Amino acid sequence: MELQARKLFDRSLTGISIMAVVLMSLSLLVLLAPIFSRGLGAFFFRGTSEFRRLALEQFNRGNAQEVAGEIRIVGAARRPVYEMLSAFEDELDGMDPTRRQGYRVELKEIKSLLRELLGPLPGELEAVMLRQQYGQTRWDRALVKLGAILYSEEWDYSDTRSMGKKVLRSRQKAFAGTRLESLFPYLENNLSGMLRPRFTFYWRFLTDRSLDSHFFGGIWPEILGTIYLTLGAMLLAIPFGIIAAIYLSEFASGGRLVSLLRVCISTLAGVPSIVFGLFGLAFFINTLHLSGSKSVLAGSATLALLILPTIIRASEEALKAVPHTYKEAALSLGASPLRMVLTVLLPAALPGILTGIIISMGRAAGETAPIIFTAAVSVGRPLKLWETLSQPTPALPWNIYNLATEHQAVDEIRHVQFGMVLTLVLLVLLLNLAAILLRARISKKMRG
Amino acid sequence: MSDAASRLRRLAAFFSQGFLLLATALSLVAVLLIIAYIARDAVPFFKLRGLKELFSSTAWFPSGQPAEFGALAIFIGSGLVTLGSILVAVPLGIAAAIALSDILPYRARQLVKPVIEILAALPSVAYGFFALVIFAPLLQNRGGSLLALAAWLIALPLGLLIIFVISEMAVRSVREDVAKAARLILAAALTAILVRALLALSAVLNKVAISSGTNALNVSVILGIMALPTIVSVAEDSLQAAGRELREGSYALGATRAETLFKVIIPASGSGIIAAVILGVMRAIGETMVVWMASGNAAQIPTPWFNFLSPVRTLTATIAGDMGEADQVLGSGRYHVLFALALCLLLTSFAANLASEWILRRQQRRLGGLK
Repeated sequence: MELQARKLFDRSLTGISIMAVVLMSLSLLVLLAPIFSRGLGAFFFRGTSEFRRLALEQFNRGNAQEVAGEIRIVGAARRPVYEMLSAFEDELDGMDPTRRQGYRVELKEIKSLLRELLGPLPGELEAVMLRQQYGQTRWDRALVKLGAILYSEEWDYSDTRSMGKKVLRSRQKAFAGTRLESLFPYLENNLSGMLRPRFTFYWRFLTDRSLDSHFFGGIWPEILGTIYLTLGAMLLAIPFGIIAAIYLSEFASGGRLVSLLRVCISTLAGVPSIVFGLFGLAFFINTLHLSGSKSVLAGSATLALLILPTIIRASEEALKAVPHTYKEAALSLGASPLRMVLTVLLPAALPGILTGIIISMGRAAGETAPIIFTAAVSVGRPLKLWETLSQPTPALPWNIYNLATEHQAVDEIRHVQFGMVLTLVLLVLLLNLAAILLRARISKKMRG
Repeated sequence: MSDAASRLRRLAAFFSQGFLLLATALSLVAVLLIIAYIARDAVPFFKLRGLKELFSSTAWFPSGQPAEFGALAIFIGSGLVTLGSILVAVPLGIAAAIALSDILPYRARQLVKPVIEILAALPSVAYGFFALVIFAPLLQNRGGSLLALAAWLIALPLGLLIIFVISEMAVRSVREDVAKAARLILAAALTAILVRALLALSAVLNKVAISSGTNALNVSVILGIMALPTIVSVAEDSLQAAGRELREGSYALGATRAETLFKVIIPASGSGIIAAVILGVMRAIGETMVVWMASGNAAQIPTPWFNFLSPVRTLTATIAGDMGEADQVLGSGRYHVLFALALCLLLTSFAANLASEWILRRQQRRLGGLK
């Protein structure tokens, strides 16, 4: 009996620990699933005729004749809407003032929603903001706007004990008996004729500049900024990292100094990333004056310090994994230690070192806190190479934060936010995948 | 070889080694510079306002007239979020480390390793975005049922295990022929009680309305997941370091795998596990983006202090959020107070790092001695 109990205890431990692993894997899945499914929505979606008009007018892309033809077709489909509006406005003038007032307010609301849905109403002045010159470019957003036209949201506070409840009120009923009543069923049934949604693969999302603070267009400035920052950080950190690893693995002979250096490396690895950001501000910008204010250079230098320990550790591991026989053979042939390192050790350890470098590249690309005060701005254009020395840049991680929290229309541009997150996550995942494959090849080679 | 040539060669070797050492010393220089420059901008604050206000007052109005710099609520917020992430990450992380080092077969391990690597590699802003855009609305709309589900998931397996142990211990002294029946009855009764209690608990939890999804609970869960990879990999390394000999010795004496783990391996590698926890916790304390985006950023002490459903504000989020507004050129009080907070963070991370380093090194020596 006792034995059975011990066995059962053993099994339950197995069960619990496997459950922990499953939970961990599940949490990764739960994390990545929405990022992937909704992030792909920035690339694959049903683009409306407004999308093609925008592409032609802003990016000079697409067939001008085709777009003009399409504008004519959707114009014909939209005409009844505008006719109904003007008919209702005529009717409104003849109404008694008390009834008119309530309708006026709601008509104004409907008109502004229609403007958002289909673009400027005919006969109106050209709007300044780009977002007011075009209707909804995406069918999914258009359906949301349609919903807002068909039903107005109201809050029901009649139950004082709980929070207010959202109630949808049909506008068609509100306008029952007027000439506007038929607008709503017409919109609902003919919206696809007015916008002509068509499946679109917008890979240019990656290479387009953003228009009107990310209402339209792509994320190229952010991607370019991230590339600059990452490459700059690698450029600064790799030489120091590899040299330090060579010294620590080959030349250091125990001793106080070396153990102090090792402690410093692990300490540096543990410094919170936001402290790196403050340090970059206080040292690189306010003391060294690398640049007048934020710049890619200052951000890269800060990131370089952040990833230095990772590179040192990975390189040291790789150098240590090179078989002793290699070194001894080189030394016995009369090579100096330095020459042995350069001609035998480094080439043999190179794949391992590369693995470490690739992984720390992913880290540098994704870090936000260090670049907040040193390099990142919310809105900017793509920089030229020489401008990186003095100019700040938008960057993927910072702009994800910025668009998700500080943008004036957070809900309208969810697809851009998800697209950015997906781009960043894919970048990091691809780098890591490369590292994993590289490592697999090394271990295969080592086994012979 | 001539004398001169060999001297030249020795000189070259000396200089090249000196050069290598110099480049290696960059880490040392960087650490010193970081301390110096954070402290340099933190000291004016302490000179101006002293120590007491920062650590004892809860009035945080750095841009008020007059300005007030009471960061107690912020320290408590950081502490609360860290505590929460420990509760999530430590049990899960240690259990997963045990599975990886002792339980899963080789092939399954190779499948799980990339999961850990990806969890570690995902950018913190992606976690923060998930917390803000997906997890927070979920908590706000379905918070009660989510809590109830979590309660069932955690309490049921653990409760069953405890019931099993209790009933086992209770029938120790009973006569052999009735023991089986007694154990069965006891276990059934306790299980019924457990299920009833859980039903009652989940009924209560179901009614909980979460007014804002950006709160300490949200951040704790996400930070816990972020700390997992560190805890799992360091703890697994130290479990592995205990070595085959100890395990085989224990198995040879007739111990089961669970007994071997609890009585031999974990005592032998316990300090390494503690180091793993310290490193994981540091990741949670130092994390910025998740807490900035999803903690609610309200500088207040929750009532009661362990109320995870209320919004909090942490050190890192305060630094990140207030630095933009702070007058950087003039070096005002609210500029320096952020450096004072950063100094606190920095000192904590130094202490934690040195502690984990020391623990790991001691363990290495001890296990080295065992072999």
